[in-house]
Amino acid sequence: MISTVAVALFLASWEIAPRLRLVDPFFTSRPSQVLSAGVDIVRGGTLWHDAAVSLSEFAAGFALALAAGVPIGLMLGTFPTLRYLVDPPLMALYATPQLALLPIIVLWLGIGMGSKIAVVFIGSVIPIVVNSMAGVRQVERPLVLAARSFCATRRDVFIKVILPASLPAVMIGVRLGLSRAVLGVVVAEMYVSQEGVGNQIMRLGSAFRVDHLLVYVLLVSAFGLGLTTAARKLEERVAR
Amino acid sequence: MRPLKPVLLGVVSFAVILFSWEAAVRLGWLNPFFTSQPTAIAAALAREAGSGELARSAAVSLREFIAGFGAAIIVGLTLGVLAGWYRSVEYALDPFIWFVYSAPLIAFYPLFVLWLGLGTHTVIAISFLLSVTPITVNTATGIRTLSPTLLLAARSFGARPRDVLWKVALPASVPMVVAGLRLGVGRALTGVVVAELFVPSGGLGSSIAYNGGLLRTTDMLASLMVIVVLGVVCTQGLSAIESRFDSWRTGPGL
Repeated sequence: MISTVAVALFLASWEIAPRLRLVDPFFTSRPSQVLSAGVDIVRGGTLWHDAAVSLSEFAAGFALALAAGVPIGLMLGTFPTLRYLVDPPLMALYATPQLALLPIIVLWLGIGMGSKIAVVFIGSVIPIVVNSMAGVRQVERPLVLAARSFCATRRDVFIKVILPASLPAVMIGVRLGLSRAVLGVVVAEMYVSQEGVGNQIMRLGSAFRVDHLLVYVLLVSAFGLGLTTAARKLEERVAR
Repeated sequence: MRPLKPVLLGVVSFAVILFSWEAAVRLGWLNPFFTSQPTAIAAALAREAGSGELARSAAVSLREFIAGFGAAIIVGLTLGVLAGWYRSVEYALDPFIWFVYSAPLIAFYPLFVLWLGLGTHTVIAISFLLSVTPITVNTATGIRTLSPTLLLAARSFGARPRDVLWKVALPASVPMVVAGLRLGVGRALTGVVVAELFVPSGGLGSSIAYNGGLLRTTDMLASLMVIVVLGVVCTQGLSAIESRFDSWRTGPGL
């Protein structure tokens, strides 16, 4: 209730202030303009093409990150020597904004979809690896010992004890990875590209078409928010 | 855990990476145009350090980071305490926080350039907006999830709401607040670097973008190395502060 009122108030003042010339509408646009820009964009037709490009880059990069990140993380969590070897470079990468790698990735892979997939992959694989690794290490020793004393083989322990027990941590990594992947696609496309949602945002931003720009930004936000909410739901179900 | 083995293996791991990188370039397996090589990067770093260029661009980025993150701490703590204390403030703030949290904020940089000019102010604004949300959310959660036993105990000793806030709720939420700061540090640093890629400000990210445009791989990687070091120092520094703030706590936090 209060949330609705707050948003309504915000939208109303955003609509009215430019009309009363309190702020320059060129800088801020107005909700009604954004709405009509939204109708324009949906009717225009390039939206579907750009969305499809960005979505496939996102999906490819994130799928690769899942396929590589979870097994690597679980393996690093299981074998301490391997972990000691990989941990320092991994932590250095984890602490660095991975998007700083963008220019060099473009140099290696060009301005097409490959560089975007790589940016998404790198951004999302690191939280997935780090959290999967932490998940295995958090598995309580008594659980493992109990399984061992009932004659479980190492493989049984891994599949029946360690894997389920570390699943919640893996899910946290997946959720963090998702939001980084969304940002990665957009920023990579903004940096250099020929198509995609980020490319549109860049074009509209340079032309200062605030109303159209906001439509795209709102779409990306809704997409990211939807995904993280879904991941959170899944996380709660897994944790139970 | 034995402390020596991990450290030793960590050093070995960096040494192997640097050595095989250098060797692969010298043996002609890797094209130095694409990958550069550690010795060349070290030479570039030494040259930039000698000419003062390195200190200049690092100082610009550091200043932006401190301004953006500092403002985020002040605003985030204030909003977080208000939202944690008054339900109505939380409901009013919620939709905006979620939008700022999930929006690709860098998309707004042309607008920020219009409002604030091309340069450091825009970078600071983006860094601030990226890092303010986790601090606000975590502070509010920390105060909201105050244990009812503590609250009842304080009340029954005649504490007024203000006393409860300052003497019970705030100290009890330190772990959540620090967790928020930890998330915020990463996002503030990302904000600085990404904004600098797009907005020339003379900082490290701008140097990467500039050298990237000229295809000067070595200089690009040299700036990247400085960013890596900066990131590691920030994260480690925060862990040090965290363990200090938490040292008075005897039981498990929360």
